[in-house]
Amino acid sequence: MNNAVVIKGTTYGFSVYMDEQADFATITKEVAEKFKESAKFFGNAKMAISFSGKTLTDEQQRQLLDVIAENSQVHIVCVIDKNSEAEEEHRRSLEDHLNAMDSSNGQFYKGNLRSGQVLETETSIIILGDVNQGATITSKGNIIVLGALLGNVYAGAGGNENAFVMALDLDPVQIRIADTIARAPDKVGKMLWKREKEHTKEPKIAFRSGNNIFIEPVSRTVLNDIKL
Amino acid sequence: MGEVIVVTSGKGGVGKTTTTANVGTGLAKLDKKVVLIDTDIGLRNLDVVMGLENRIVYNLVDVIEGTCKINQAFIKVKGYNNFYLLPSAQTRDKTAITPEQMKKLTDQLKEEFDYVIIDCPAGIEQGFHNAIAGADRALVVTTPEVSAVRDADRIIGLLEANEIKNIHIIVNRLRMDMVKRGDMMSSEDVIEILAIPLIGVVPDDENIVISTNQGAPLVGNNTMAGKAYMNICKRVDGEEVPFLDLAAKGGFFGRLFKKN
Repeated sequence: MNNAVVIKGTTYGFSVYMDEQADFATITKEVAEKFKESAKFFGNAKMAISFSGKTLTDEQQRQLLDVIAENSQVHIVCVIDKNSEAEEEHRRSLEDHLNAMDSSNGQFYKGNLRSGQVLETETSIIILGDVNQGATITSKGNIIVLGALLGNVYAGAGGNENAFVMALDLDPVQIRIADTIARAPDKVGKMLWKREKEHTKEPKIAFRSGNNIFIEPVSRTVLNDIKL
Repeated sequence: MGEVIVVTSGKGGVGKTTTTANVGTGLAKLDKKVVLIDTDIGLRNLDVVMGLENRIVYNLVDVIEGTCKINQAFIKVKGYNNFYLLPSAQTRDKTAITPEQMKKLTDQLKEEFDYVIIDCPAGIEQGFHNAIAGADRALVVTTPEVSAVRDADRIIGLLEANEIKNIHIIVNRLRMDMVKRGDMMSSEDVIEILAIPLIGVVPDDENIVISTNQGAPLVGNNTMAGKAYMNICKRVDGEEVPFLDLAAKGGFFGRLFKKN
């Protein structure tokens, strides 16, 4: 029986298909033979490898890699996991981790952002100054403005729906959190430069709930609901 | 060593050229050595406002290209010993000179003059970059309108990005009666948005239109605008001058509602 293992070359390495019925000893023997046969052809190439057809334990996988190392000069630099479910899970946990990092890590910017200026950050951002109309801040995390926020803001730009925007004077033209956009109400028949009478200059926070963006005064209750 | 001051605004028609003419003339009246440079190549009119159009032989582009000596292009302003205009070219465009060339020119001129005042074209393209290249400080002119203030904000951002940190605001064409009715932004409203110190408020005064049409800056005369411009000149020169009461003409109640 010489067909328990089939080895195929791909662009970046080998795919090793194993017969599910074959026992591990047979597979080991065949892998050894096949790599020995083609050792000259592969030379000392650096390759990735993937196993499929038969589920291997970590120990078995390691034994096969040892066998390959003994019988050829090929360097196996990594083992690619063909199990797509696990891969998806890894990707998701990695992204969640990165998102969490973006939100809980931050940096400072001192100065006013003026019309036409754009500030983009991978992490949360705290601005010591005003953000005027026509200016834009984009952050994968949260945005806090210690000043007047009158321009455009986009928090949670990486898709983090828990991101929030806070400002001492929160009156933006447009506010976007993840993929939800809210805009300031139209000022029909009103002076564009006049601030709303009811607009008191107290610190406010904007957050996303459902598919809506809510703006509320900063209070203990609201802060308790914030997820970093 | 003198100072290079750029008069700019972003938006057109807010009074850059009028301000350049009046601030330049006012500083000359204060016995300063002053040269005005019009960098609005292709749309020159500082010479018109100064009443010197008929004297132009050479211009800024000629100087930069070496067609003439710098003294040949200078137009001496009538009635002053140390006050000159370097006019713009009318038949070329903004790409005829570069920011590096402008910086070289202004660096040279400020050795000789107390103030080199540059009239900047509207916009944020090459003409703007030429005008600010050698500037030590900037006077940003705005009217109390949302569009002009928005453009002033953009301009201030660009000036700061170009390492020009000494910036002041001139609020031009303010109408106190409208401010009092709540129909116009006050200078305080403008400053609150721009967060840059105010150096002067010029009222909307028909005498400005008259003086501009006559080619004779009104700075220093007895009109409200004339006084306001003279005060700006003194503040530019480092003197502390209280702000004019622009509501003074409004009688007793005007004085009660003193705003500026």
